[in-house]
Amino acid sequence: MTMAGHDRSGLRKVRLYGVLLALLGVMMLPFYTMFSSTLKPENEIFSAPATLVPSDPTVQAYLDVWTQTDVLLWIGNSFVISLGTVALTLALAIPAAYSCARNDFVGKRTFLLSVLVVQMFAPVVLIVGLFDVITQFGLFNTYLAVIIPAAAFTLPFNVWMLYGYFKTIPVALEESARIDGASQFQILTKIVLPLTKPALVASITYTFLYAWNRLLFVLTFLTDSAKYNIPRGVFSMVGALQTDWRMMLTVSVIGIIPLLILFAFLEEYIVAGMTAGAVKE
Amino acid sequence: MSIAEEYTDTTDDSRFERGLTYLQRNSRAYLLIAPTALFLLAVVGYPILETFRLSLYQSPADSNIETFVGLQHYAEIVDSDIFYRLLWQTGRWVVVGVAGKTIMGLLIAVHLKGDIRGRKFFRTAFLIPWGIPYAISAVVFRWIEHPQFGYLNAILLKLGLIEQGIGILGNPDIAWLGVVVADIWIGTPFMAIIFLAGLQSIPQELYEAAAIDGAERWHQFRYITLPQLKSVILIATLLSTIWTFVSFDTIWTMTGGGPISTTATLVIHIYQVGLQNGNLGRGAAYSVIGFLFLFVFAIIYLRVYTRGGDEL
Repeated sequence: MTMAGHDRSGLRKVRLYGVLLALLGVMMLPFYTMFSSTLKPENEIFSAPATLVPSDPTVQAYLDVWTQTDVLLWIGNSFVISLGTVALTLALAIPAAYSCARNDFVGKRTFLLSVLVVQMFAPVVLIVGLFDVITQFGLFNTYLAVIIPAAAFTLPFNVWMLYGYFKTIPVALEESARIDGASQFQILTKIVLPLTKPALVASITYTFLYAWNRLLFVLTFLTDSAKYNIPRGVFSMVGALQTDWRMMLTVSVIGIIPLLILFAFLEEYIVAGMTAGAVKE
Repeated sequence: MSIAEEYTDTTDDSRFERGLTYLQRNSRAYLLIAPTALFLLAVVGYPILETFRLSLYQSPADSNIETFVGLQHYAEIVDSDIFYRLLWQTGRWVVVGVAGKTIMGLLIAVHLKGDIRGRKFFRTAFLIPWGIPYAISAVVFRWIEHPQFGYLNAILLKLGLIEQGIGILGNPDIAWLGVVVADIWIGTPFMAIIFLAGLQSIPQELYEAAAIDGAERWHQFRYITLPQLKSVILIATLLSTIWTFVSFDTIWTMTGGGPISTTATLVIHIYQVGLQNGNLGRGAAYSVIGFLFLFVFAIIYLRVYTRGGDEL
């Protein structure tokens, strides 16, 4: 490579990283705004125009938030709702996906495509009908009123994700286990599921995030403030006349910390899940 | 078994009988999908039917009395000005939102594609806006755009672009832009991740051949990247269109559809009419109109997805 060529590729690298960092900066700005505001004392956060850097940083907000808001309760509820949704979704999706991957039967194609169509049916256009159904079944103001619809709308992704993965596991493995006298259930739990780990992790992460992040179902079906999750809690802090921005932003930071931990460890699985279905090899 | 035997000697029912034997032979397969099928029928199928039924009734949420009104809701909706305003507001919300997400996603993906040091870090960082609660993103953008204490106004003042703070979300002319920015921010990571995966599946030889031919970078993008990425872009924008169309949490938290309903979309209106005002019948009629849109999107999606006779 000539000197000039080397220079040009070096320059290109600098430009590439420059653009990347600029894009990252733009995407991270809201986080900076949120986090830097929580480090300001009360009189500074409500000063106009805003200071772009806290002049006198303090972690006082992170000490006050536990007593001044119900953030712990909301996080607890978020866990109940998310884990409940994951459990219900997997209990339904694993057998269905396994059945479709291992058998050919009339109606399989219809079943799989109908499941895909459910994904198109966004909760919000169904919310009036769902409201009627949830009240009819007496589920209003129970965790199930949120878990059941959340499971319904995460099922399509789960069924398809697991179905696609089960198909890649050789049947021969299961047949030799069957000859050794293993039951169907043992084959599924001892042989198939351990091999399905990547798909399971992607499924669980997707379902957990879906249930953790959504406001709509809690807003509509849980009026009891003792059952609020993080999004509903943050929403409840938006006042018509006055909003305690300092506490609200602090709750927001705390509410996304569990998710940041999840991303740091499971990024590859999340990406695999997001691209499944949209990008075909 | 016994039911099948009952019918063995009647030749008319041989089809029924064959069907039964088939079901028996495959009983395990059907048993395993049954819970999911029944669950979805109850939680999605039944509400769909209930929505259609309700749309034909006058049904206040706070009473048990329903009055059949036929197609009156639909007639009134099609006759009202608000309906056409909602269509326009939904249209601009979807078009600007999806365009913004696509462009931002492409920009990020193209720059992440090559041999980047720390790509995992970048990819994780770019992913975060997608994975946090919409309500939280919405309040953060409300804070950024706050007329007195917001960072946006502080920056604009500092740059001398404005002389006093502007209230974006309170201004009927520009409030929707203030919300659409938040929605683009939330939706960009999905596009970036999908496009990145698509870019990585483009054979490197195509670029090498183009480089030998001396093609400029823009030409490489225009004549190699875009055509190769076509199907991925198609599916991603289609999905994004659906999600943007039904986006609720962000708008609801930022403006609740205001000021004077200028940030309301069709789905926001469904919620306002059906659940906030408790007019279940009218809300259901608006929902059915929403179904129609989703139905069209779904048909296109299934066409694209199952194109070329791919086996399921």
